[in-house]
Amino acid sequence: MRIEPKTIIRFTLEYFDIIRDMFDAHVAEGLLKQEHVAEIFLKHNRNIEAQMLEYKLMRRIGNDFDLRSEYLNFLKFILEEFRPLLPEHIEKYNYSISELFRKIKDEIFGDKDVLDSRVKNISNEIREFVTAVEHNTISLLEQTRALKANLEKVDYREKVQRASFWIDYYILPLNRILDVTHNESVISKLYNISEFVNNKRLNFYDENIRQSFESLYFQLIQTNDDLLKQSRILTNELLPLIERIRTESTILSGFITFLRNPYKTQVPKMFKRKNNMVLSSNAALNAKAFMEQFAKDDTIYLEDLIDNNDKWIFDIDYFKGKLREQLPVNNFFDWAATTLEKEYTAIESDKLFALTTLLFEEDLQLEFDEKKKNKKIKTDEYTLKVPNITVSNYGIF
Amino acid sequence: MEYSKNHRQIVEDLIGGKFILPTNKNFIELKEKEKFYEDFFKFSFGHDLIMRQDFAFLVSDETNEMLSRDVCIFFAILCYELDKDGRNFLDLINYSEFEYDQINDYFENSSYLEVVRNNSRLRDINTRNEFMDTLDRRNIIEKTGPQKFTFTTAHKNFTDFAMELAKSKTADVE
Repeated sequence: MRIEPKTIIRFTLEYFDIIRDMFDAHVAEGLLKQEHVAEIFLKHNRNIEAQMLEYKLMRRIGNDFDLRSEYLNFLKFILEEFRPLLPEHIEKYNYSISELFRKIKDEIFGDKDVLDSRVKNISNEIREFVTAVEHNTISLLEQTRALKANLEKVDYREKVQRASFWIDYYILPLNRILDVTHNESVISKLYNISEFVNNKRLNFYDENIRQSFESLYFQLIQTNDDLLKQSRILTNELLPLIERIRTESTILSGFITFLRNPYKTQVPKMFKRKNNMVLSSNAALNAKAFMEQFAKDDTIYLEDLIDNNDKWIFDIDYFKGKLREQLPVNNFFDWAATTLEKEYTAIESDKLFALTTLLFEEDLQLEFDEKKKNKKIKTDEYTLKVPNITVSNYGIF
Repeated sequence: MEYSKNHRQIVEDLIGGKFILPTNKNFIELKEKEKFYEDFFKFSFGHDLIMRQDFAFLVSDETNEMLSRDVCIFFAILCYELDKDGRNFLDLINYSEFEYDQINDYFENSSYLEVVRNNSRLRDINTRNEFMDTLDRRNIIEKTGPQKFTFTTAHKNFTDFAMELAKSKTADVE
């Protein structure tokens, strides 16, 4: 007996809380275990097993139950609870759409009914493809937001794992499917189909099929908008959000590792300030002076200074000997001047002063007569007034 | 040799242990003359200039430098506590204003209270407030009021450290 659609809708409405629990249990386990069903009926104090089976919303599998896929999808749709499909699953539409498109092109002038049927089939495949992409985006976004809010108090390591898993297995492959720049992506194929269909909707010889192409063309325009929207959600919202979760969790993981042994882990270097500041009020000048040593100036060559003059060294023994030979000497400075003239042809002041030191030799006896006038001696530099000093030996020589 | 107009300020800030940030006009000058300043600090003082996208700072080879460790502990505990509180710490550190009282609450009730109590700069409210003033002097935070501040981009030096540490640990495990 066929059940009235309104009866099923009314039944769903009336027992929605129980059905919702059954739906959750089914999604969690993959089927409805008998004990879970019993618990749900007990919790709500109502058993709807008979109606569920009668309305063909559920079937028995051994001792357990299974919500029928059509009803399950309907519930998923109204609850917006979709499990993300693996991109491989979505990728299957790539094959089916491509294959149908190839047949439409190859047999464009074949049987009209078959062609019309293929146009409608490709339309269905495209619709399912868009729905699958939308469901995936919605579910990934919801799961990501939930992970970000972390209401489940998920451990930071698991957060990294989940975020990485979703990125690697769902988001990036899904992004590739929606990548318009990639020739083999589904969306690129849809562009090609759109171009072909646009042409046929205008100039195909059969009116009915032209209309089918027309419908398909407008569907494809809408599909393009929908997929671009999904692609934008993926790249602008979902991917940054999930990347941030991954980054945040990695940072936290690193900090927790660090806090286990904060004094034994090598930390980034920082600058240690000195109390005695390197800088003073003359810092700019000092820095300039310092830097100028690295400046590239013209090369200057300096030659070594060579002093050709032999430095005169006073040989006290030699001159003392000379003096002794002539003792007694009536006037020491006359003797000194004469000796220097003989030895060096000129009287140099330095040499005269050096000879004067002989007067302090202990073995010489000096006599100075104040009545005698000072004499003048002209050296290369000065004219010196010198006293008259007589020099003789102590004792018998 | 021509020196940049702000040469003295750049040298004083870096020698003073400050992070120079992209919001500061000296950062652009430093970036443009990166090689010159690298050599300048290396030859003059033996220090390394680190230039990153979000900050520039000097590094010395002092082995008894403890501030960096304390800053890492500070960030580690703060991030952990914010996360424990169910908050997105990276968003908060990047974009939010903090109050000293709020920070003190997190530290006083931290799961790492033992680490807090054993750290001379973080052990109590007074030392923590002084520590945050130090962070301000180093341009790691920017005060927006007597008891309020935001983190500057210099925080990335420490969050990057945590990230690298986590990655190296993962690599060790693998």
